[in-house]
Amino acid sequence: MPVSTPERRTEQEAYAHWLAWGVRLGFSALVGTFFLYVTGLVPAGVAPERLPELWGLPVDAYIAATGAPTGWSWVHRLGEGDLLNLVGVAILAATSIACHLRVLPLFMRSRERALAAICVAQVIVLGAAAAGIF
Amino acid sequence: MRLRSLSLAAAAAALLSPGLALAARAAPPGAGLPWWAWPLILFVTTFLMGIVAVVGGIGGGVLFVPIVGGFFPFHLDFVRGAGLMLALCGALSSGPGLLRGGLASLRLAMPLALAGSIGGIVGALVGLALPTRIVQVALGITVLAIAALMWHTRNSGQDASHAADRWALALGLHGRFHDPAVGAHVEWNAHRTGLGLAAFFGIGIVGGLFGLGAGWANVPALNLLMGVPLKLAVGTSGLAISIINTSAAWVYMNKGALLPILIAPSILGVMLGARVGVRVLKAIKAATARNVIIAVLVAAGVRSLLQGLGA
Repeated sequence: MPVSTPERRTEQEAYAHWLAWGVRLGFSALVGTFFLYVTGLVPAGVAPERLPELWGLPVDAYIAATGAPTGWSWVHRLGEGDLLNLVGVAILAATSIACHLRVLPLFMRSRERALAAICVAQVIVLGAAAAGIF
Repeated sequence: MRLRSLSLAAAAAALLSPGLALAARAAPPGAGLPWWAWPLILFVTTFLMGIVAVVGGIGGGVLFVPIVGGFFPFHLDFVRGAGLMLALCGALSSGPGLLRGGLASLRLAMPLALAGSIGGIVGALVGLALPTRIVQVALGITVLAIAALMWHTRNSGQDASHAADRWALALGLHGRFHDPAVGAHVEWNAHRTGLGLAAFFGIGIVGGLFGLGAGWANVPALNLLMGVPLKLAVGTSGLAISIINTSAAWVYMNKGALLPILIAPSILGVMLGARVGVRVLKAIKAATARNVIIAVLVAAGVRSLLQGLGA
């Protein structure tokens, strides 16, 4: 009769622990930087007053009209409130990658090669998406 | 009784989004309202979405894109990006509790999420490359199909046990979980793993393409196709969404399709609404909430379809 082994609980617990921290950190950054953005404490690259004439445009036209960054170039413009808000988004989007990296050694240690390989493949796929390869 | 339930659904659907009529009238987009009014209306709308979504047993992500895309002035590219982040945040925040409580299986989610995240990247790239009208028509059809699926599967769900297939055995896709509702351990085995992987790849494409949360498809795929017990299917679906939507979210972010003014108010609204929804859950029948969601999805789907067709 199949049962949950202690190793499985360890993996779940480790994944859950990193996930919880990632969410806390990412969510705090998202809300905190949004406050700085909408209150104008950190001036936005695209002033909120201009947004109603811009947010109906397709993304390519929006970028052409505002000079908004693509890829990771926003990191060089963190002094702009709207782009600073992407820090929280990036942390949230990176959390699953970190969680997979956390459980990879556990699968390797327990010689679960198939799951370790899936873990590596998932990190490669998410890492490539994050790097803007696609 | 059924008529009463449907009337309630229609009335609640009308009440769901107080900004919808206002938003729909806004032409040219944003005319007449200051910029800060829109994040506020979005917050109120997503707050109500969060309540209805919890009571109806679905994620807020599936409501967000059809409603906000159909009735607000924001371009569908940005709405889909925000929808992905909304579904991602909901899934990420529920993940630790589901994993610790044993109501989600990491090893079951991992291979399915890998297939789904590859599909999510494909869907996101296709969605951002296609003309908006085609995406709107496809979204309208998809949303109407989701409403039909929800209507037909509202009383379905099976917890029969099956023999694990070769792939499930190799990946260890079996185990047991504690179901607090019945106070007992439930043994489970996955089967039809190959079909499940194919289904999750397809679901990932749809999620990335339209920015929808995919619990509406994940749960039937896990439960009805792979034979995973319903409660474990619901929990594992949430965990899978947290990985699948990550891949598409990165694509949208790298293409510049995440507009900060939409993201934080929407996420806050749905999350706070979900907390209230948990309390409302005790006072309202789940079937009524589900009918509300179906009514809203039909209205939003028809509107998206008409917008795409230029009607």
